[in-house]
Amino acid sequence: MSALAPRAWAAGAAGAAAIAAALTLGVVRVAQRHYERAFAFRIAHTTAAYIATVTPPPPPPPPPPAPPRSRTRGRRVPAPLPAAPPPTSPARSYDLPSLLTQAHALETLPGWSSNVEVYSGTAPLVAATAAALSPDELSNLAATGGHWRDGTALVPLTDRDGQDVVGAVAVQPRSMPHGPLPGGFGFSFPAAVIAVAAASVIAFRQHSLRRGGYVGAALLLAVASYVDVRAAARQSTDRWLFDTRRLLQEAAKRLPPPRARNPIPDLAGIVRDGDIVAGEPGESAARRVRVDGERRAVVAVLIGPQRWIELRSAPAEIEAPRWLIGLLPAALLGPFAIIGLRWAERTPVRRRRETAIAWGFLAPATVHLVLFTAGPALYALYLATLANFPALARDPLTWNAFLNSATYALYVPVSIGLALAAAVAIHRYRAHWSGRLLRAAFLLPYVASVVAVALLWQAIYRAGSLGLGRADWLSNPRTALAALMLMSLWVHAGGQMLVFLAGLQSIPQSCFDAARVDGASAWQTFRRVTLPMLRPVTWLVSLTGVLGALQMFTLVAVLTQGGPFPLHATDVAVHRIYRTAVGAQAWGMTSALALILAVILLLFRWPQLQVLRREARRA
Amino acid sequence: MASVTLRRLSKVYDGGVQALHHLDLEVRDGELLVLLGPSGSGKTTILRCIAGLEEVTTGEVVIGERVVTNEPPAARDVAMVFQSPALYPHLTVRDNIAFPLELRGVARTQITRRVLEAATRLHLERVLERRPGQISEGERQRAALGRAMVRGPQLFLLDEPLSRLDAQLRIELRGELLALHRALGATMIYVTHDQTEAMTMGQRIAVLHEGRLRQTGTPEEVYQRPADVHVARFIGTPGMNVLQGKGRGTGEKADGGRVIEAGSLAIPIELTTYEGELQVGIRPEYVGLCAVDKGVGNADVLVVEPLGSETLIHLNAGGQPLVARVPGFADVRVGTQVGVKVDRRRLYLFDSAGAPLG
Repeated sequence: MSALAPRAWAAGAAGAAAIAAALTLGVVRVAQRHYERAFAFRIAHTTAAYIATVTPPPPPPPPPPAPPRSRTRGRRVPAPLPAAPPPTSPARSYDLPSLLTQAHALETLPGWSSNVEVYSGTAPLVAATAAALSPDELSNLAATGGHWRDGTALVPLTDRDGQDVVGAVAVQPRSMPHGPLPGGFGFSFPAAVIAVAAASVIAFRQHSLRRGGYVGAALLLAVASYVDVRAAARQSTDRWLFDTRRLLQEAAKRLPPPRARNPIPDLAGIVRDGDIVAGEPGESAARRVRVDGERRAVVAVLIGPQRWIELRSAPAEIEAPRWLIGLLPAALLGPFAIIGLRWAERTPVRRRRETAIAWGFLAPATVHLVLFTAGPALYALYLATLANFPALARDPLTWNAFLNSATYALYVPVSIGLALAAAVAIHRYRAHWSGRLLRAAFLLPYVASVVAVALLWQAIYRAGSLGLGRADWLSNPRTALAALMLMSLWVHAGGQMLVFLAGLQSIPQSCFDAARVDGASAWQTFRRVTLPMLRPVTWLVSLTGVLGALQMFTLVAVLTQGGPFPLHATDVAVHRIYRTAVGAQAWGMTSALALILAVILLLFRWPQLQVLRREARRA
Repeated sequence: MASVTLRRLSKVYDGGVQALHHLDLEVRDGELLVLLGPSGSGKTTILRCIAGLEEVTTGEVVIGERVVTNEPPAARDVAMVFQSPALYPHLTVRDNIAFPLELRGVARTQITRRVLEAATRLHLERVLERRPGQISEGERQRAALGRAMVRGPQLFLLDEPLSRLDAQLRIELRGELLALHRALGATMIYVTHDQTEAMTMGQRIAVLHEGRLRQTGTPEEVYQRPADVHVARFIGTPGMNVLQGKGRGTGEKADGGRVIEAGSLAIPIELTTYEGELQVGIRPEYVGLCAVDKGVGNADVLVVEPLGSETLIHLNAGGQPLVARVPGFADVRVGTQVGVKVDRRRLYLFDSAGAPLG
């Protein structure tokens, strides 16, 4: 079989479209449930706060019996210790008969869109014959702050001070039509039907995909689904606004007279995740307005004769676009699958398999790249606003850091010279024990842990800086950076030597032989054969070395933390970025600094890529 | 120009591999000597020892009148062409050819002239400004030759310079090399494992086997009078058939008629002195086919290779492989049995160790 049979491809295309549509509808359903639950929890919390506000405390209990006098051995205690207070002070709890009344009142609240149950302790108050909560469930509620059970949001009812859990409020939202179409359908279902139909027609009738009919249908599905999700989000906010309005009106009626004169503080206590302000008369519908530049969902609430307040809340739909992250891929899965099938239909089996395998190998790297490279980079771009750049330019520490990095990078040419010389010597005596010894000596610092090396050198410098003068070079601002450079030279020459050695070994032996037979001296051979043939390797090592030097962080972090201060003598670029982030927590500045460094690194990266490309062409 | 003499030359590599065993070789002034042997026989090692790229373990290398055993390569005035062209990829063809002259500090005008001379002789004028990566494999090998000849060395060492080229180009360059040798009159030592190349190029052929020199002689000599069974097997396409046999008397004739029994063959032969195990060699062209039971024995046909002007027939003679070369196309089928005849005057007899008998 060389390619996919037409019927198989058509069936596959229709199936892929159906799966994509089902997935999209699934995402919509998940979003709708999410918003319904969000509403249920929110109104349940509001109801609990409402009960706490309007239910009076129980009448004072009879005074407790006097505590038994305690006798102590030895001295007499001058005054008796006061009795420990009971776990829940009676004044903080609720009067049970009033609580019962409030609970029943909730059930008959006109216009409410949910069923409600109030538990005093574990006992249900509204439907007295309903199952009681288990004590475990009640204590869990205190810890979790609420959970979902059998279509019901269960949240704790705390005492009047909000300290202890004395009961629970359960809210079961009545199901409401989600969509504007007849039967409560949203737009997404018809759009899904259209998308599947379009895909099937295109596939079975062998229409060209170039017309994009199916892609259009899939995008329509995505848009329709998003409209539905957004509607669900909006509905959840509106439902809460309407139901809370009813609670606020009830509360205003039930407040004791002294507090009823200025009810706003009490009412604001009920609505913890919204605002209440004095308001104007208004319609009963919810509106969307801008308050101080932020979008708010508001309703007007009439709490007494000519007394209006406004209830405001953050509209849930402003967060709705994040559902697109799920909706778009789900809807576009269909077109992608169909394009893939179309490609498979035309491609021989073997190439298809190879491509699939190639993508299989690429997939982990791609995911990693997107999640940990492209994502953070875009986020950094987003954080680094333009205003940060002039501020950075004015900061002398910025210039100091980049200057330090540039100075530090000067060790690279030295280490390259050293590494090249060592590599040539090792290559020449590669079979001899002296060559192997030299190789091991150069490689050891490179393979050792940088931190361990740093600490070793710190000890050396402290002990007298290699006998060159007494002072500890690391704590002298004039020598600290040079001391770090010396250390890096020692570490990195090994790695560079290894690359040069590999480069030398890739030069055919016959080239060296030919030079010798032609009468070249060792120096002539090096100068005229070895060096030119190593040129790409030298480029690579230089650029990699400079790039690494500009990104150096570990040595500074371990040894000097940017000091000696106040000169910031070893404060290199990456360390400055780190200090800006971790020390000053200035994320915008951090991102701006990182971007500057990234641009500089890219400038160095460019010729490196050119060299690699040239090598690839030559090979 | 110069002659080359190797005296009792031995080479033992680090790790104990002995590449050359007490090798004596004489190359005359102006001669083109071909060093022929299978891979691993030590041909390249000899060249590298002459060039000075390898240290000699024992023995002497003499170039001209000078003992150069301990001289560096530069002091030996030899030029070497390697199996891979070993051109410097960063230099143009012109600079590659000029390289040995520049090393010696030859004047620039003279360099230009001599490079052009060499390039003209090798038909490289058009590619002088190109890099090795931009020219064909044949041009690369020519450029390597140019680099070798440009400074007029007394001795050329050529290490399988044509082995990487395709057949057509190889024949072409082979001719050019011969012409070059005649024109320069230089001494050349040419290493190859291809015995056709050796036969067509060499004035003399030195056959190596396992680090020992087995025979030196003209192409005809090594073909007609192989010094031992290795040379016999190696020279010729395909090489000589060598059958493991046993000589014994038949007692049928008064003059003491004898046969060699080898596999399913019983070859009558006048042999009075040798009894027991021996090896009998016969070139494929002296093996013929006949009807079953009409020849010296029967054999099974394994493979038939029609080559146009001739046909090679691979036979199994009682467990011993035997190749017959017959003119034109032969009417034999694989899997059938045929009679074998041999030309008794063209038999070579070796003892079981491989040395020639009689």
